[in-house]
Amino acid sequence: MKITILNGDLNPTTNSFSRKVEAYVEELRKSNRVDLFTLAQMDLHYCTGCWSCWWKTPGECAINDDAEIIFRSVINSDLVIFASPLIAGFPSSALKKIMDRLIVLLHPYIEIVNGECHHRKRYEKYPNLGLILEKEPDTDDEDIKLVKDIFDRLAINFHSKLVFVKMIDEVTKLDFVIMEEVRNDEKI
Amino acid sequence: MKLTIINGSPRNKKSNSKILIEKFLEGYGKIESSNIEIHYLANIHKMDEHAKAFAQADTVLLIFPLYTDCMPGIVKEFIEAIAANKYGNKKRFGFIVQSGFPESIHSVYVEKYLEKLSLRMQCEYIGTVIKGGVEGIQIMPNYMTSKLFTNFTNLGEHFAKTGCFNEEIVEKLRTPYKMSKANLFGFKLMSKTGLTNFYWNSNLKKHNAFENRFAAPYK
Ligand SMILES: Cc1cc2nc3c(=O)[nH]c(=O)nc-3n(C[C@H](O)[C@H](O)[C@H](O)COP(=O)(O)O)c2cc1C
Repeated sequence: MKITILNGDLNPTTNSFSRKVEAYVEELRKSNRVDLFTLAQMDLHYCTGCWSCWWKTPGECAINDDAEIIFRSVINSDLVIFASPLIAGFPSSALKKIMDRLIVLLHPYIEIVNGECHHRKRYEKYPNLGLILEKEPDTDDEDIKLVKDIFDRLAINFHSKLVFVKMIDEVTKLDFVIMEEVRNDEKI
Repeated sequence: MKLTIINGSPRNKKSNSKILIEKFLEGYGKIESSNIEIHYLANIHKMDEHAKAFAQADTVLLIFPLYTDCMPGIVKEFIEAIAANKYGNKKRFGFIVQSGFPESIHSVYVEKYLEKLSLRMQCEYIGTVIKGGVEGIQIMPNYMTSKLFTNFTNLGEHFAKTGCFNEEIVEKLRTPYKMSKANLFGFKLMSKTGLTNFYWNSNLKKHNAFENRFAAPYK
């Protein structure tokens, strides 16, 4: 399986979160092809809402930075894992930044799905999505639900499915459980 | 009341958010015209200043365009800058979320987050105004936008008088929640005649990109 991991840790050199993500990637690499992107260490800019990607250079972002390698990796993966510590109850701005930029992978045309407007596919196949978080001291179940709901929505927009939400501390131990879940999901 | 407005659109002063705020302030200004500050998060190198403005404010309205059913990245960065503090329930915090798609269902998930965020920061939560179908307002003829603009002007006037969002107007603005059978039918009709994609097609043509519209360069 080809997997892309987007690590949104804002302090990847000092935070234990990133060490755990790296250890997890090591595990995954034993049986998968994995691209790990440590977003804070890359040259990445915020989406400016210019619509170049939809009506000037269809499918291509106007910003010349490191995002292009991420776009290629994401759209050619079977699974994309968003990883970030929660900050103020949501994944980091570095992760949200790249989530916004992924709109380049969709098409502007609108279609109706379940009584809701959504954008048409630009590519034939979109990867499944996974989410790995780290709790803050005050994180409760409601916070996790709020974030999960928003990523479920992202998955709908993305013609995809959110196949797991895990805390980073569970993940290292449950590595293979996750992979089993993803595989089972694919069978359905 | 001192009012601090934070515009979270990456489009800065060319944003739809700015237009809606202008309409809101037209109404607000009928009652009170002093003590209004506006900050643009698109100036991301000024994030410290924006956070300081928030810390010093009494009543804050944060407006942003919905990006992937959530806040844009720059707004998340702002939230990170302000949420490290607790404000002891002295600050009032309200939100306006506007989006491209017409139905409010896209925005109700981030709405829940915003309410929880206010609680977490110990701010008094004023509420969230949700308005869909905003993308085209800069090219729509007057008759299409006049109802929307009037609603925002009335919302602003009521806010100046009471410090709250008028529930009736909020209800109107967030309708429809989903596409009803009736407007689904209208939409289907329109998409058959190419009208819904008219906006995209005319812009694609304007930029000589129409033929290339299905390009998939990253495969
Ligand atoms: C990257 C990006 C993501 C967006 N995601 C959504 C979305 O999930 N749902 C929606 O209804 N509109 C979405 N929009 C449309 C904007 O919310 C809409 O165009 C808005 O009116 C822009 O406001 P502004 O000019 O103030 O930035 C998105 C736009 C961009 C550029």
